[in-house]
Amino acid sequence: MKTIDSRFGEIAYDPQQVLTFPQGLIGFEELREFVVMPNSKEGPLFWIQSVEDAQVALVLTDPTNFFLDYKVVPEAHERAILGIEADEPCFNLVVVTVHPDRRITLNLAAPILFAARTNRALQVILENSGYSIQTPLPVVQPATPPQQAASASASA
Amino acid sequence: MLVLTRKLGEGILIGEDIRLQIVEIKGNTVRLGIDAPRHKKIYRQELYDHIQQENRAATSWALADLDLLGTPVSPPEPEEK
Repeated sequence: MKTIDSRFGEIAYDPQQVLTFPQGLIGFEELREFVVMPNSKEGPLFWIQSVEDAQVALVLTDPTNFFLDYKVVPEAHERAILGIEADEPCFNLVVVTVHPDRRITLNLAAPILFAARTNRALQVILENSGYSIQTPLPVVQPATPPQQAASASASA
Repeated sequence: MLVLTRKLGEGILIGEDIRLQIVEIKGNTVRLGIDAPRHKKIYRQELYDHIQQENRAATSWALADLDLLGTPVSPPEPEEK
């Protein structure tokens, strides 16, 4: 085990388990290794801490928690960076911005492709996708009839 | 910075595999055609800069913010029809 002095105190991590960004993140191209930190409580947000820069930590989430149909598939050259084949799973993550007023937005315009087998990740830019760099969370619809949830769980 | 003057329809080669061409000139706007290998990343400068800024802004948060959203929002399961 090794340790990092993060903004949030000392973090112990296994160097074999770090998440590698072979090209860094946009704006942090020189930072290649991150430790994945789970949220201590149940929730959709988790974070990654740079091994190389104690000041850099980012909150991430799985965008399909909020946007069901969001899916970005890696292109061939992106799969090569991730070290995966065309038929291997690749997950989408997005960077979460917590604004000074505690408002939360998701960067759906620059998702992170994550290959679990190789533990590699790549931030890509979606040109002309129509997705916003600061996508607000969807408004929860309180009008969902309760019987819908009941029938869905019965059929599961 | 290298500065070259080009006319409509003329082009520029960068290395062996990147070709730029002036496709249209209209007032203040120039349309460029770009031929490059798929793995070359080509972005509008301002979009790239904006994402850089957003990533940097996203590093300012507190541990308590992780609980802002509480438990996962479970998407409604699709109704079978």
